[in-house]
Amino acid sequence: MISFENVTKRYGNLVAVDAVSYTLHKGESFALLGPNGAGKTTLVRMLLGFSRCTAGKIAIRGVPAGRSASRHKLGYLAELHRIPPYLSGFEYLMRQAALCGLTGSEAKTSVRDILKKVGMDGLEKKKAAHYSKGMTQRLGLGAALLGEPEMLVLDEPVSGLDPLGVRDVRVLLEAFKKSGGTIILNSHRLSEVEKLCDSVAIMDRGRIVVKGDLAHIVQQNETLEDVFIRHVEGKIT
Amino acid sequence: MRQKSFYLLLAVAVAFVLLIRSCYQADYTVAGRPVDQMTLAWHASLIVFHVIAAAMFLMTALLSMGLFSRDREDGSMVMLLCRPVDRWQYVLGRIVGIWLLSTAFMLILHLTLFLIVLANTGMMIPGYLSASLLCAVNLLFATVLTCFLALFLPNIMAAAFTLGVVGISFLSDGTFQAMQSALLRHMVAGESQVALWRILFPKVYMLQHYASTWITTSAFDGMPPIYVVANIVFYTGALAAAALWRFYRSEI
Repeated sequence: MISFENVTKRYGNLVAVDAVSYTLHKGESFALLGPNGAGKTTLVRMLLGFSRCTAGKIAIRGVPAGRSASRHKLGYLAELHRIPPYLSGFEYLMRQAALCGLTGSEAKTSVRDILKKVGMDGLEKKKAAHYSKGMTQRLGLGAALLGEPEMLVLDEPVSGLDPLGVRDVRVLLEAFKKSGGTIILNSHRLSEVEKLCDSVAIMDRGRIVVKGDLAHIVQQNETLEDVFIRHVEGKIT
Repeated sequence: MRQKSFYLLLAVAVAFVLLIRSCYQADYTVAGRPVDQMTLAWHASLIVFHVIAAAMFLMTALLSMGLFSRDREDGSMVMLLCRPVDRWQYVLGRIVGIWLLSTAFMLILHLTLFLIVLANTGMMIPGYLSASLLCAVNLLFATVLTCFLALFLPNIMAAAFTLGVVGISFLSDGTFQAMQSALLRHMVAGESQVALWRILFPKVYMLQHYASTWITTSAFDGMPPIYVVANIVFYTGALAAAALWRFYRSEI
């Protein structure tokens, strides 16, 4: 469904992403892990067409990343999600609904439904400038879920959320996964990744140092955190 | 907030135009002869037509300069481009939006003046509103130029550069147009050759002047109107293509 073939991104002499290859199948919940500056966000940005690959190619359902058709039925939540401050939560979601091709009463119904799902029902009339970080994040997740997406690309989705918010997001994502949706999760919250994802790739300095099914990567009597530290610190046994 | 600022600015501008009413209610004499209200209204309307059209360059440059940087900062760019929206659709959509806004602003001001003259004198100036619409082509040029420059330069520099181009056009072509009068030709000795850059430079002033001939119904001297329109359309198209090329290569 999503293929990365020798994807490389250079900024001058700095290699942000170095020959990354991976194929993600439909319905897979995949986590991209790594320390800060490992190249995870750059990879996600290239997937969405926000940044161009220096070498290699990315395709979504066979369509090269960057083309508008590749973002069809794709929901995205950015790490530092921002909502134009002059829009209310409802207006923001209505605009997102329009971009998904929803109009009129269909759009309003979808937006009302999403507002309930992300726990923002009753708060939608406030301007975005008055929302907390957690509220903005919830609305961003709501926007990503609009238009019945087939895949979600989430960059730190629980950033800024309290424990209840984290649980709510997990429940939403589990429901999405059960409905057959594909998830790409870029997160530092390893416990959440363990609960939600089937497969992981750990990146360090632009390269994937380990990838595969979570069940195969995490051995008995260890956690994902142990695996992460072991690979990122270079103490691979 | 953005909308409120726009409406406020529009209200202030319309209020200023409404002040023109008092011009028609006074008695004027030129060389000892009284000037009738119709002549006065006609000349005042023509001057204000040019003032509004010229002032709109400033307004358009200010509206256009922060178009992309504002969208980048407030998250609108990501909001749009993470959906199945092509970059060209985004760029052209934003440019056309600002252009339509500027055009509507200018048309409302010209329409206000048109209605004031109609109410005070009963005179309907032919070609006034169509001339305003022709001047909108200039606003599209200013929008595209500012947006293109803002992809390289700080916003204020992009706006200043656009106003500089417009200013040079007014100076260069205004002088050229003035030299078309027989009186000035007699006063300035010798035939002067017009430099090539002046012929090729964006004909912003010429287009506005050509539009004003739709009001005065006088002949347009100096160069074929088709060249003037084609010149601005060419620059607008070329700059839009360059802006798209640049935007396609930029990181979101």
